[in-house]
Amino acid sequence: MGTKGGFEKKSKAAADIPGSSLADIAFLLLIFFMVSTAFPRDRDRPITWAEAEAAKKIDEKQKNILNLWMQRDGTIYINDQRYEIDQVSNVVAPLYAQSNQGLVVSIRGDRETPYRLMDQLQTELVSAGVVRVVFATRLEQRMQRERR
Amino acid sequence: MLGMKKQRVSGEVPVASTADIAFLLLIFFLTSTNFPKDNGLAVVLPESSETVEVSQKNILHLVIQASGIVEVKWGESPQAQRMRADRIEGLWRQEVAANPDLIAAVETHPDAPYRYMIDVLDALHAANAERISLQVLEM
Repeated sequence: MGTKGGFEKKSKAAADIPGSSLADIAFLLLIFFMVSTAFPRDRDRPITWAEAEAAKKIDEKQKNILNLWMQRDGTIYINDQRYEIDQVSNVVAPLYAQSNQGLVVSIRGDRETPYRLMDQLQTELVSAGVVRVVFATRLEQRMQRERR
Repeated sequence: MLGMKKQRVSGEVPVASTADIAFLLLIFFLTSTNFPKDNGLAVVLPESSETVEVSQKNILHLVIQASGIVEVKWGESPQAQRMRADRIEGLWRQEVAANPDLIAAVETHPDAPYRYMIDVLDALHAANAERISLQVLEM
């Protein structure tokens, strides 16, 4: 048995890590990510969607999908920028090259757009090298179709 | 009073499990969140240099008029059958069973609204058609 000197102090610090602030840290992280996360999405244009029953989910990563809005008068919007149809090829070609030829163009056309404009758009996309195209539609229910 | 026990229940709400609740919520939302994906009809356009000669007997012409009526023509035959877009699904299944090499040539009138083409394309997709060519009707 050892003898203790009269002036030696006993350490009173706890050996446990305090866990009471863990909840606050979790909530702070949660709130930080909720506030700071921004999804790169373009604004929706006011179009009337075409409807299709056989429409399937686009099988491609979100970053490889380029939304191309086409309004009834033939105005094109890509990434919130307005373009004319004959500019599409010049706009899409660099984006296609950036994506390592993996780009899928989702055409969001107004249902009343004359097909002539849609055909011009397809020609522009082909000349930019883009061949994978999706005609984006809303899902149509069978009931709706029968009523039509 | 004598014999009465002193109550020893703590007045505080226990907070030790708040962290667990926060993490559970976090994990629940992380796993259950799914971002809405677009629906659509996928088409592969032909490359600009790509021209393929196809025998007329392997082509089913679907001519969409500006009114939305579809005229169906078989190869070079001058006869046309007029029908609504919703009948094309059945027609395609029937035709492709007879000729598996059949190609659907969808020719749309330049003034026809885009939705009529979508209706026909929808019917073809519903019938699992794979060989589809989209053209504008030459006037």
